[in-house]
Amino acid sequence: MRVSSCVAPILAVLLLSGCTSPAWDDHDYGLKAAQSAESAASSLEIVRLAVRHEDRLTTSYLKTLFTEAVKDLGGVNSQFGGVQPPSPSADEVRGRLLDLTGEAEDQVTSLLIQVRRDGIEDPEAAVKDLEGVAAKLRAFEEAHQ
Amino acid sequence: MKKLFAVTLGILTAFGGFVDIGDLVANSLVGARFGMSLAWVVVVGVIGICLFAEMSGRIAAVSGRPVFDLVRERMGPRAGLVNLGASFFINVLTLAAEIGGASLALELATGINYLLWVPGVALVAWLVMWRVKFETMERVFGLAGLALVAFAVALWQLGPDWHELGRQLTQPPADEGAPTYWYYAIALLGGAMTPYEVFFFSSGGVEEKWTRKDLVTSRANVFIGFPLGGFLSLAIAGCAAVVFFPVKAEVDTLGQMLLPAGIGLGQLGLAAVIFGVFAATFGATLETALSSGYTISQYFGWQWGKLVRPRDAARFHAVVLAGVIVATALILTTIDPIMVTEYSLIFSAAALPLTYLPVLMIANDPDYMGDQVNGRFSNTLGTTYMILLLVVAAAAVPLMIATKAGQ
Repeated sequence: MRVSSCVAPILAVLLLSGCTSPAWDDHDYGLKAAQSAESAASSLEIVRLAVRHEDRLTTSYLKTLFTEAVKDLGGVNSQFGGVQPPSPSADEVRGRLLDLTGEAEDQVTSLLIQVRRDGIEDPEAAVKDLEGVAAKLRAFEEAHQ
Repeated sequence: MKKLFAVTLGILTAFGGFVDIGDLVANSLVGARFGMSLAWVVVVGVIGICLFAEMSGRIAAVSGRPVFDLVRERMGPRAGLVNLGASFFINVLTLAAEIGGASLALELATGINYLLWVPGVALVAWLVMWRVKFETMERVFGLAGLALVAFAVALWQLGPDWHELGRQLTQPPADEGAPTYWYYAIALLGGAMTPYEVFFFSSGGVEEKWTRKDLVTSRANVFIGFPLGGFLSLAIAGCAAVVFFPVKAEVDTLGQMLLPAGIGLGQLGLAAVIFGVFAATFGATLETALSSGYTISQYFGWQWGKLVRPRDAARFHAVVLAGVIVATALILTTIDPIMVTEYSLIFSAAALPLTYLPVLMIANDPDYMGDQVNGRFSNTLGTTYMILLLVVAAAAVPLMIATKAGQ
Protein backbone atom coordinates (compact mmCIF):
# COMPACT_ATOMS: atom_id res chain seq x y z
CA MET A 1 0.00 0.00 0.00
CA ARG A 2 1.40 3.42 -0.91
CA VAL A 3 1.89 5.94 1.87
CA SER A 4 -0.41 8.48 0.17
CA SER A 5 -3.28 5.99 0.15
CA CYS A 6 -2.93 5.58 3.94
CA VAL A 7 -2.60 9.28 4.69
CA ALA A 8 -5.49 10.49 2.51
CA PRO A 9 -8.30 8.77 4.48
CA ILE A 10 -6.80 9.96 7.78
CA LEU A 11 -6.68 13.56 6.55
CA ALA A 12 -10.23 13.27 5.19
CA VAL A 13 -11.48 12.01 8.56
CA LEU A 14 -9.73 14.83 10.41
CA LEU A 15 -11.11 17.47 8.06
CA LEU A 16 -14.65 16.05 8.07
CA SER A 17 -14.82 15.77 11.85
CA GLY A 18 -13.77 19.39 12.27
CA CYS A 19 -16.18 20.90 9.73
CA THR A 20 -19.44 22.77 10.35
CA SER A 21 -22.02 21.38 7.96
CA PRO A 22 -24.72 23.61 6.38
CA ALA A 23 -28.27 23.75 7.80
CA TRP A 24 -30.73 21.83 5.60
CA ASP A 25 -33.97 23.26 7.10
CA ASP A 26 -35.31 25.28 10.03
CA HIS A 27 -35.19 22.31 12.39
CA ASP A 28 -31.56 21.59 11.54
CA TYR A 29 -30.73 25.28 11.90
CA GLY A 30 -32.44 25.32 15.33
CA LEU A 31 -30.36 22.32 16.44
CA LYS A 32 -27.17 24.08 15.38
CA ALA A 33 -28.30 27.20 17.25
CA ALA A 34 -28.96 25.09 20.38
CA GLN A 35 -25.53 23.50 20.14
CA SER A 36 -23.89 26.93 19.80
CA ALA A 37 -25.87 28.25 22.79
CA GLU A 38 -24.77 25.24 24.84
CA SER A 39 -21.15 25.83 23.94
CA ALA A 40 -21.35 29.55 24.81
CA ALA A 41 -23.14 28.82 28.11
CA SER A 42 -20.44 26.29 28.98
CA SER A 43 -17.67 28.89 28.44
CA LEU A 44 -19.59 31.42 30.54
CA GLU A 45 -20.07 28.95 33.40
CA ILE A 46 -16.33 28.36 33.58
CA VAL A 47 -15.62 32.11 33.60
CA ARG A 48 -18.28 32.51 36.31
CA LEU A 49 -16.59 29.83 38.46
CA ALA A 50 -13.23 31.55 38.00
CA VAL A 51 -14.63 35.00 38.91
CA ARG A 52 -16.36 33.59 41.99
CA HIS A 53 -13.02 32.17 43.19
CA GLU A 54 -10.77 34.86 41.72
CA ASP A 55 -9.02 35.44 45.06
CA ARG A 56 -7.76 31.83 44.92
CA LEU A 57 -6.34 32.11 41.40
CA THR A 58 -3.25 33.85 40.02
CA THR A 59 -3.47 36.83 37.66
CA SER A 60 -1.56 35.13 34.84
CA TYR A 61 -3.86 32.11 35.13
CA LEU A 62 -6.99 34.30 35.00
CA LYS A 63 -5.60 36.19 31.99
CA THR A 64 -5.03 32.95 30.09
CA LEU A 65 -8.41 31.51 31.11
CA PHE A 66 -10.34 34.63 30.05
CA THR A 67 -8.36 35.00 26.82
CA GLU A 68 -9.32 31.42 25.93
CA ALA A 69 -12.96 32.11 26.82
CA VAL A 70 -13.05 35.23 24.61
CA LYS A 71 -11.55 33.15 21.80
CA ASP A 72 -14.10 30.36 22.35
CA LEU A 73 -17.05 32.77 22.37
CA GLY A 74 -15.71 34.56 19.29
CA GLY A 75 -15.39 31.15 17.62
CA VAL A 76 -19.02 30.29 18.46
CA ASN A 77 -20.14 33.65 17.02
CA SER A 78 -18.18 33.32 13.80
CA GLN A 79 -18.97 29.62 13.27
CA PHE A 80 -22.72 29.95 13.83
CA GLY A 81 -22.81 33.33 12.11
CA GLY A 82 -21.30 31.65 9.06
CA VAL A 83 -24.17 29.16 8.71
CA GLN A 84 -26.71 30.33 6.13
CA PRO A 85 -30.22 30.68 7.72
CA PRO A 86 -32.57 28.65 5.50
CA SER A 87 -35.70 30.88 5.94
CA PRO A 88 -36.86 34.28 7.28
CA SER A 89 -37.98 32.65 10.55
CA ALA A 90 -34.44 31.31 10.97
CA ASP A 91 -33.22 34.92 10.69
CA GLU A 92 -34.95 35.66 13.98
CA VAL A 93 -33.29 32.67 15.69
CA ARG A 94 -29.96 33.83 14.32
CA GLY A 95 -30.44 37.39 15.58
CA ARG A 96 -31.46 36.31 19.11
CA LEU A 97 -28.58 33.91 19.52
CA LEU A 98 -25.93 36.23 18.12
CA ASP A 99 -27.18 38.99 20.46
CA LEU A 100 -26.73 36.65 23.43
CA THR A 101 -23.32 35.31 22.41
CA GLY A 102 -22.20 38.86 21.57
CA GLU A 103 -23.28 39.99 25.06
CA ALA A 104 -21.39 37.05 26.58
CA GLU A 105 -18.26 37.90 24.60
CA ASP A 106 -18.49 41.57 25.68
CA GLN A 107 -18.80 40.60 29.35
CA VAL A 108 -15.79 38.30 29.29
CA THR A 109 -13.73 40.81 27.26
CA SER A 110 -14.53 43.45 29.88
CA LEU A 111 -13.40 41.09 32.66
CA LEU A 112 -10.19 40.35 30.76
CA ILE A 113 -9.45 44.09 30.52
CA GLN A 114 -10.06 44.46 34.27
CA VAL A 115 -7.77 41.53 35.10
CA ARG A 116 -5.02 43.00 32.94
CA ARG A 117 -5.32 46.29 34.89
CA ASP A 118 -5.90 46.02 38.65
CA GLY A 119 -8.07 42.93 38.96
CA ILE A 120 -11.84 42.39 38.80
CA GLU A 121 -13.58 45.49 40.15
CA ASP A 122 -16.79 43.95 41.46
CA PRO A 123 -16.63 40.14 41.38
CA GLU A 124 -20.10 39.65 42.90
CA ALA A 125 -21.80 41.82 40.28
CA ALA A 126 -19.79 40.13 37.53
CA VAL A 127 -20.90 36.69 38.75
CA LYS A 128 -24.55 37.84 38.67
CA ASP A 129 -24.22 39.26 35.16
CA LEU A 130 -22.56 36.08 33.89
CA GLU A 131 -25.26 33.96 35.55
CA GLY A 132 -27.94 36.03 33.83
CA VAL A 133 -26.55 35.57 30.32
CA ALA A 134 -25.73 31.89 30.94
CA ALA A 135 -29.34 31.29 32.08
CA LYS A 136 -30.68 32.98 28.92
CA LEU A 137 -28.39 30.84 26.77
CA ARG A 138 -29.55 27.67 28.56
CA ALA A 139 -33.21 28.69 28.05
CA PHE A 140 -32.50 29.32 24.36
CA GLU A 141 -30.81 25.93 24.09
CA GLU A 142 -33.79 24.12 25.65
CA ALA A 143 -36.27 25.96 23.43
CA HIS A 144 -34.48 24.85 20.25
CA GLN A 145 -33.61 21.24 21.06
CA MET B 1 18.00 -1.28 52.37
CA LYS B 2 19.57 -0.03 49.15
CA LYS B 3 17.36 -2.44 47.18
CA LEU B 4 14.24 -1.25 49.01
CA PHE B 5 15.17 2.36 48.27
CA ALA B 6 15.64 1.56 44.57
CA VAL B 7 12.27 -0.21 44.41
CA THR B 8 10.50 2.67 46.21
CA LEU B 9 12.14 5.22 43.93
CA GLY B 10 11.09 3.19 40.90
CA ILE B 11 7.50 3.00 42.15
CA LEU B 12 7.36 6.74 42.79
CA THR B 13 8.83 7.40 39.35
CA ALA B 14 6.23 5.16 37.69
CA PHE B 15 3.50 6.82 39.80
CA GLY B 16 4.55 10.37 38.92
CA GLY B 17 5.29 9.52 35.30
CA PHE B 18 1.99 7.73 34.60
CA VAL B 19 -0.14 10.77 33.82
CA ASP B 20 0.60 12.60 30.56
CA ILE B 21 -1.33 15.10 28.46
CA GLY B 22 -3.57 12.33 27.12
CA ASP B 23 -4.64 11.16 30.58
CA LEU B 24 -5.10 14.74 31.76
CA VAL B 25 -7.24 15.78 28.80
CA ALA B 26 -9.29 12.57 28.57
CA ASN B 27 -10.07 12.42 32.29
CA SER B 28 -10.96 16.10 32.56
CA LEU B 29 -13.19 16.00 29.47
CA VAL B 30 -14.93 12.86 30.62
CA GLY B 31 -15.35 13.97 34.25
CA ALA B 32 -16.92 17.26 33.15
CA ARG B 33 -19.26 15.65 30.66
CA PHE B 34 -20.07 12.22 32.08
CA GLY B 35 -19.31 12.59 35.79
CA MET B 36 -17.71 9.42 37.13
CA SER B 37 -19.71 7.11 34.85
CA LEU B 38 -16.62 6.21 32.79
CA ALA B 39 -14.33 5.56 35.79
CA TRP B 40 -14.55 1.83 35.02
CA VAL B 41 -12.63 2.45 31.78
CA VAL B 42 -9.67 3.81 33.76
CA VAL B 43 -9.69 0.62 35.83
CA VAL B 44 -9.83 -1.53 32.66
CA GLY B 45 -7.02 0.56 31.12
CA VAL B 46 -4.79 0.35 34.19
CA ILE B 47 -5.20 -3.44 34.41
CA GLY B 48 -4.39 -3.64 30.67
CA ILE B 49 -1.26 -1.48 30.85
CA CYS B 50 -0.08 -3.37 33.95
CA LEU B 51 -0.57 -6.69 32.17
CA PHE B 52 1.30 -5.74 29.00
CA ALA B 53 3.97 -3.56 30.64
CA GLU B 54 4.82 -6.46 32.96
CA MET B 55 5.15 -8.73 29.92
CA SER B 56 7.36 -6.25 28.05
CA GLY B 57 9.51 -5.67 31.17
CA ARG B 58 9.87 -9.44 31.55
CA ILE B 59 10.81 -9.79 27.87
CA ALA B 60 13.50 -7.10 28.28
CA ALA B 61 14.85 -8.64 31.49
CA VAL B 62 14.95 -12.22 30.19
CA SER B 63 16.04 -11.71 26.58
CA GLY B 64 18.01 -8.49 27.07
CA ARG B 65 16.22 -7.19 23.97
CA PRO B 66 13.42 -4.62 23.72
CA VAL B 67 10.00 -5.39 22.26
CA PHE B 68 10.42 -3.82 18.84
CA ASP B 69 13.65 -5.68 18.23
CA LEU B 70 11.71 -8.92 18.59
CA VAL B 71 8.61 -7.76 16.68
CA ARG B 72 10.41 -7.83 13.35
CA GLU B 73 12.10 -11.13 14.13
CA ARG B 74 8.89 -12.80 15.33
CA MET B 75 6.36 -11.28 12.89
CA GLY B 76 8.50 -10.78 9.79
CA PRO B 77 9.67 -7.55 8.12
CA ARG B 78 6.36 -6.67 6.38
CA ALA B 79 4.07 -7.01 9.40
CA GLY B 80 6.78 -5.33 11.45
CA LEU B 81 6.89 -2.42 9.01
CA VAL B 82 3.11 -1.87 9.23
CA ASN B 83 3.46 -1.93 13.01
CA LEU B 84 6.39 0.47 12.83
CA GLY B 85 4.55 2.92 10.53
CA ALA B 86 1.47 3.07 12.77
CA SER B 87 3.52 3.32 15.97
CA PHE B 88 5.77 6.05 14.61
CA PHE B 89 2.82 8.13 13.33
CA ILE B 90 1.07 7.92 16.72
CA ASN B 91 4.33 8.60 18.57
CA VAL B 92 4.94 11.81 16.65
CA LEU B 93 1.32 12.91 17.12
CA THR B 94 1.60 12.22 20.85
CA LEU B 95 4.98 13.99 20.95
CA ALA B 96 3.38 17.09 19.39
CA ALA B 97 0.61 16.95 22.00
CA GLU B 98 3.15 16.65 24.86
CA ILE B 99 5.25 19.59 23.59
CA GLY B 100 2.02 21.59 23.29
CA GLY B 101 0.98 20.56 26.81
CA ALA B 102 4.30 21.61 28.36
CA SER B 103 4.09 24.95 26.51
CA LEU B 104 0.49 25.50 27.66
CA ALA B 105 1.59 24.87 31.27
CA LEU B 106 4.25 27.56 30.85
CA GLU B 107 1.61 29.92 29.44
CA LEU B 108 -0.56 29.34 32.51
CA ALA B 109 2.40 30.08 34.78
CA THR B 110 3.58 33.20 32.98
CA GLY B 111 0.71 34.54 30.88
CA ILE B 112 2.96 34.46 27.79
CA ASN B 113 1.39 32.79 24.74
CA TYR B 114 2.23 29.09 24.49
CA LEU B 115 3.42 29.37 20.88
CA LEU B 116 6.38 31.44 22.08
CA TRP B 117 7.33 28.61 24.46
CA VAL B 118 7.09 25.80 21.91
CA PRO B 119 10.57 26.16 20.28
CA GLY B 120 12.19 26.57 23.72
CA VAL B 121 10.49 23.47 25.13
CA ALA B 122 11.54 21.45 22.07
CA LEU B 123 15.13 22.69 22.25
CA VAL B 124 15.51 22.02 25.98
CA ALA B 125 13.93 18.57 25.55
CA TRP B 126 16.44 17.74 22.82
CA LEU B 127 19.35 19.01 24.95
CA VAL B 128 18.16 16.91 27.90
CA MET B 129 17.93 13.82 25.67
CA TRP B 130 21.39 14.56 24.29
CA ARG B 131 23.20 15.34 27.54
CA VAL B 132 21.38 13.94 30.59
CA LYS B 133 21.77 10.34 31.75
CA PHE B 134 18.79 8.07 31.15
CA GLU B 135 18.23 7.24 34.81
CA THR B 136 18.53 10.87 35.95
CA MET B 137 16.15 12.03 33.25
CA GLU B 138 13.55 9.39 34.08
CA ARG B 139 13.75 9.93 37.84
CA VAL B 140 13.73 13.75 37.87
CA PHE B 141 10.64 14.18 35.70
CA GLY B 142 8.84 11.13 37.12
CA LEU B 143 9.29 12.43 40.67
CA ALA B 144 8.40 16.02 39.69
CA GLY B 145 5.18 14.66 38.19
CA LEU B 146 4.19 13.65 41.73
CA ALA B 147 3.10 17.28 42.16
CA LEU B 148 -0.07 16.18 40.36
CA VAL B 149 -1.07 14.52 43.65
CA ALA B 150 -2.43 18.03 44.29
CA PHE B 151 -5.45 16.94 42.19
CA ALA B 152 -6.28 14.28 44.78
CA VAL B 153 -5.87 16.79 47.64
CA ALA B 154 -7.99 19.31 45.71
CA LEU B 155 -10.74 16.73 45.28
CA TRP B 156 -10.74 16.19 49.03
CA GLN B 157 -10.73 19.93 49.71
CA LEU B 158 -13.61 20.54 47.31
CA GLY B 159 -15.73 18.56 49.77
CA PRO B 160 -17.60 16.48 47.22
CA ASP B 161 -20.81 14.61 47.81
CA TRP B 162 -19.19 11.16 47.81
CA HIS B 163 -22.58 9.48 47.65
CA GLU B 164 -23.38 11.41 44.45
CA LEU B 165 -19.98 10.53 42.93
CA GLY B 166 -20.67 6.88 43.80
CA ARG B 167 -24.09 7.07 42.17
CA GLN B 168 -22.53 8.46 38.97
CA LEU B 169 -20.30 5.36 38.69
CA THR B 170 -23.23 3.31 37.42
CA GLN B 171 -25.46 5.99 35.88
CA PRO B 172 -24.30 7.81 32.75
CA PRO B 173 -26.05 11.15 32.12
CA ALA B 174 -29.38 10.63 30.37
CA ASP B 175 -28.84 13.44 27.84
CA GLU B 176 -25.69 11.90 26.32
CA GLY B 177 -26.07 9.45 23.43
CA ALA B 178 -24.52 5.98 23.46
CA PRO B 179 -22.12 6.69 20.54
CA THR B 180 -20.62 9.68 22.39
CA TYR B 181 -20.34 7.68 25.61
CA TRP B 182 -18.45 4.90 23.83
CA TYR B 183 -16.31 7.37 21.87
CA TYR B 184 -15.03 8.86 25.12
CA ALA B 185 -14.64 5.40 26.66
CA ILE B 186 -12.28 4.58 23.77
CA ALA B 187 -10.39 7.88 24.21
CA LEU B 188 -9.90 7.10 27.93
CA LEU B 189 -8.64 3.61 27.14
CA GLY B 190 -6.28 5.08 24.51
CA GLY B 191 -4.98 7.48 27.19
CA ALA B 192 -4.41 4.77 29.78
CA MET B 193 -2.77 2.30 27.37
CA THR B 194 -0.78 4.68 25.13
CA PRO B 195 1.58 2.53 23.02
CA TYR B 196 4.71 4.59 23.66
CA GLU B 197 4.57 3.60 27.35
CA VAL B 198 5.37 -0.01 26.45
CA PHE B 199 8.14 0.86 23.97
CA PHE B 200 9.72 3.18 26.50
CA PHE B 201 9.32 0.78 29.41
CA SER B 202 10.94 -2.17 27.60
CA SER B 203 13.67 -0.08 25.95
CA GLY B 204 14.32 1.58 29.31
CA GLY B 205 14.73 -1.88 30.84
CA VAL B 206 17.44 -2.65 28.29
CA GLU B 207 19.06 0.78 28.81
CA GLU B 208 19.20 0.08 32.55
CA LYS B 209 20.59 -3.42 31.83
CA TRP B 210 17.79 -5.32 33.53
CA THR B 211 18.38 -9.00 34.18
CA ARG B 212 16.21 -11.67 35.78
CA LYS B 213 17.27 -10.24 39.17
CA ASP B 214 15.48 -7.00 38.27
CA LEU B 215 12.12 -8.67 37.66
CA VAL B 216 11.01 -7.77 41.21
CA THR B 217 11.80 -4.08 40.61
CA SER B 218 10.07 -4.15 37.23
CA ARG B 219 6.95 -5.79 38.68
CA ALA B 220 6.86 -3.41 41.66
CA ASN B 221 7.01 -0.43 39.27
CA VAL B 222 4.19 -1.85 37.20
CA PHE B 223 1.89 -3.32 39.83
CA ILE B 224 2.20 -0.53 42.40
CA GLY B 225 3.34 2.55 40.43
CA PHE B 226 0.87 2.30 37.55
CA PRO B 227 -2.26 1.72 39.69
CA LEU B 228 -1.26 4.72 41.82
CA GLY B 229 -1.00 6.67 38.53
CA GLY B 230 -4.47 5.38 37.68
CA PHE B 231 -5.68 6.72 41.02
CA LEU B 232 -4.39 10.17 39.96
CA SER B 233 -6.34 9.86 36.70
CA LEU B 234 -9.49 9.15 38.70
CA ALA B 235 -8.76 12.15 40.95
CA ILE B 236 -8.51 14.39 37.86
CA ALA B 237 -11.84 13.04 36.58
CA GLY B 238 -13.32 13.43 40.09
CA CYS B 239 -12.29 17.10 40.27
CA ALA B 240 -13.95 17.78 36.91
CA ALA B 241 -17.05 15.80 37.96
CA VAL B 242 -17.41 17.90 41.13
CA VAL B 243 -16.77 21.34 39.63
CA PHE B 244 -17.96 21.20 36.01
CA PHE B 245 -20.50 18.38 35.70
CA PRO B 246 -23.22 19.96 37.91
CA VAL B 247 -23.18 23.22 35.89
CA LYS B 248 -22.91 21.43 32.51
CA ALA B 249 -19.62 23.14 31.67
CA GLU B 250 -17.54 21.24 29.13
CA VAL B 251 -13.79 21.79 29.23
CA ASP B 252 -11.69 22.17 26.12
CA THR B 253 -8.53 23.96 27.25
CA LEU B 254 -5.76 23.06 29.67
CA GLY B 255 -6.48 26.21 31.70
CA GLN B 256 -10.05 25.11 32.29
CA MET B 257 -8.91 21.62 33.27
CA LEU B 258 -6.78 23.00 36.13
CA LEU B 259 -9.49 25.27 37.54
CA PRO B 260 -10.73 22.73 40.14
CA ALA B 261 -7.23 22.59 41.67
CA GLY B 262 -7.23 26.37 42.06
CA ILE B 263 -10.72 26.42 43.54
CA GLY B 264 -9.89 23.59 45.95
CA LEU B 265 -6.38 24.57 47.02
CA GLY B 266 -5.87 28.23 46.15
CA GLN B 267 -2.85 29.79 44.45
CA LEU B 268 -0.26 27.42 45.94
CA GLY B 269 -2.23 24.37 44.85
CA LEU B 270 -2.71 25.86 41.41
CA ALA B 271 1.04 26.51 41.16
CA ALA B 272 1.75 22.91 42.23
CA VAL B 273 -0.61 21.53 39.62
CA ILE B 274 0.82 23.73 36.85
CA PHE B 275 4.31 22.56 37.85
CA GLY B 276 3.09 18.96 37.87
CA VAL B 277 1.52 19.31 34.43
CA PHE B 278 4.74 20.79 33.07
CA ALA B 279 6.85 18.01 34.62
CA ALA B 280 4.48 15.28 33.42
CA THR B 281 4.19 16.60 29.85
CA PHE B 282 7.89 17.46 29.57
CA GLY B 283 8.79 14.00 30.88
CA ALA B 284 6.39 12.45 28.37
CA THR B 285 7.95 14.61 25.63
CA LEU B 286 11.26 12.92 26.37
CA GLU B 287 9.66 9.47 26.48
CA THR B 288 7.75 9.84 23.20
CA ALA B 289 10.71 11.38 21.38
CA LEU B 290 13.02 8.61 22.56
CA SER B 291 10.37 6.01 21.72
CA SER B 292 10.37 7.28 18.12
CA GLY B 293 14.11 6.69 17.97
CA TYR B 294 13.85 3.33 19.75
CA THR B 295 11.21 1.85 17.44
CA ILE B 296 12.87 2.84 14.16
CA SER B 297 16.40 1.94 15.29
CA GLN B 298 15.29 -1.39 16.73
CA TYR B 299 13.38 -2.30 13.57
CA PHE B 300 16.32 -1.52 11.27
CA GLY B 301 18.88 -3.00 13.64
CA TRP B 302 20.78 0.25 14.22
CA GLN B 303 22.80 1.03 17.29
CA TRP B 304 20.46 2.80 19.73
CA GLY B 305 20.10 4.13 23.25
CA LYS B 306 21.44 6.72 25.60
CA LEU B 307 24.09 4.44 27.06
CA VAL B 308 25.85 4.45 23.72
CA ARG B 309 27.88 7.53 22.79
CA PRO B 310 25.88 9.76 20.38
CA ARG B 311 28.60 9.33 17.74
CA ASP B 312 28.04 5.57 17.83
CA ALA B 313 24.25 5.88 17.67
CA ALA B 314 24.07 8.75 15.17
CA ARG B 315 21.03 7.41 13.30
CA PHE B 316 19.09 6.91 16.54
CA HIS B 317 19.78 10.50 17.61
CA ALA B 318 18.96 11.76 14.10
CA VAL B 319 15.53 10.07 14.25
CA VAL B 320 14.88 11.54 17.71
CA LEU B 321 15.83 15.00 16.47
CA ALA B 322 13.71 14.63 13.30
CA GLY B 323 10.72 13.53 15.42
CA VAL B 324 11.10 16.58 17.68
CA ILE B 325 11.35 18.91 14.66
CA VAL B 326 8.26 17.46 12.93
CA ALA B 327 6.20 17.54 16.16
CA THR B 328 7.31 21.12 16.91
CA ALA B 329 6.42 22.21 13.38
CA LEU B 330 2.97 20.63 13.77
CA ILE B 331 2.26 22.57 16.98
CA LEU B 332 3.67 25.79 15.48
CA THR B 333 1.02 25.64 12.74
CA THR B 334 -1.22 26.95 15.61
CA ILE B 335 -3.29 23.76 15.59
CA ASP B 336 -4.93 23.37 19.01
CA PRO B 337 -2.70 21.07 21.15
CA ILE B 338 -5.75 19.75 23.01
CA MET B 339 -7.35 18.76 19.71
CA VAL B 340 -4.10 17.04 18.68
CA THR B 341 -4.24 15.18 22.00
CA GLU B 342 -7.82 14.07 21.40
CA TYR B 343 -6.97 12.73 17.94
CA SER B 344 -3.79 11.06 19.19
CA LEU B 345 -5.87 9.22 21.83
CA ILE B 346 -8.28 7.86 19.23
CA PHE B 347 -5.55 6.84 16.80
CA SER B 348 -3.66 5.25 19.71
CA ALA B 349 -6.77 3.26 20.56
CA ALA B 350 -7.13 2.19 16.92
CA ALA B 351 -3.54 0.91 16.92
CA LEU B 352 -3.58 -0.82 20.31
CA PRO B 353 -3.69 -4.39 18.92
CA LEU B 354 -0.66 -3.67 16.71
CA THR B 355 1.34 -2.79 19.82
CA TYR B 356 0.09 -5.38 22.23
CA LEU B 357 -0.38 -8.49 20.07
CA PRO B 358 3.39 -8.93 19.47
CA VAL B 359 4.04 -8.43 23.20
CA LEU B 360 1.56 -11.19 24.01
CA MET B 361 3.01 -13.50 21.34
CA ILE B 362 6.62 -13.03 22.42
CA ALA B 363 5.86 -13.31 26.14
CA ASN B 364 4.13 -16.61 25.33
CA ASP B 365 7.01 -18.01 23.28
CA PRO B 366 9.23 -20.40 25.30
CA ASP B 367 12.08 -20.00 22.75
CA TYR B 368 12.49 -16.39 23.88
CA MET B 369 11.24 -16.58 27.44
CA GLY B 370 12.40 -19.98 28.75
CA ASP B 371 10.98 -20.57 32.21
CA GLN B 372 9.63 -16.98 32.34
CA VAL B 373 7.02 -17.66 29.66
CA ASN B 374 3.44 -16.49 30.32
CA GLY B 375 1.41 -18.57 32.75
CA ARG B 376 -2.18 -19.61 32.14
CA PHE B 377 -3.57 -16.58 34.00
CA SER B 378 -1.51 -14.06 31.98
CA ASN B 379 -2.45 -15.76 28.72
CA THR B 380 -6.17 -15.88 29.51
CA LEU B 381 -6.23 -12.25 30.59
CA GLY B 382 -3.99 -11.23 27.67
CA THR B 383 -6.24 -12.99 25.15
CA THR B 384 -9.34 -11.40 26.68
CA TYR B 385 -7.69 -8.00 26.37
CA MET B 386 -6.70 -8.70 22.77
CA ILE B 387 -10.36 -9.38 21.90
CA LEU B 388 -11.35 -6.16 23.66
CA LEU B 389 -8.61 -4.17 21.91
CA LEU B 390 -9.66 -5.53 18.51
CA VAL B 391 -13.25 -4.38 19.13
CA VAL B 392 -11.94 -0.98 20.29
CA ALA B 393 -9.67 -0.67 17.24
CA ALA B 394 -12.53 -1.48 14.87
CA ALA B 395 -14.90 0.99 16.54
CA ALA B 396 -12.53 3.93 17.16
CA VAL B 397 -12.49 5.72 13.80
CA PRO B 398 -16.15 5.01 12.84
CA LEU B 399 -17.23 6.43 16.22
CA MET B 400 -15.01 9.47 15.69
CA ILE B 401 -16.77 10.17 12.38
CA ALA B 402 -20.27 9.37 13.69
CA THR B 403 -19.92 11.67 16.73
CA LYS B 404 -17.87 14.36 14.94
CA ALA B 405 -15.05 13.68 17.37
CA GLY B 406 -17.31 13.55 20.41
CA GLN B 407 -19.36 16.70 19.80
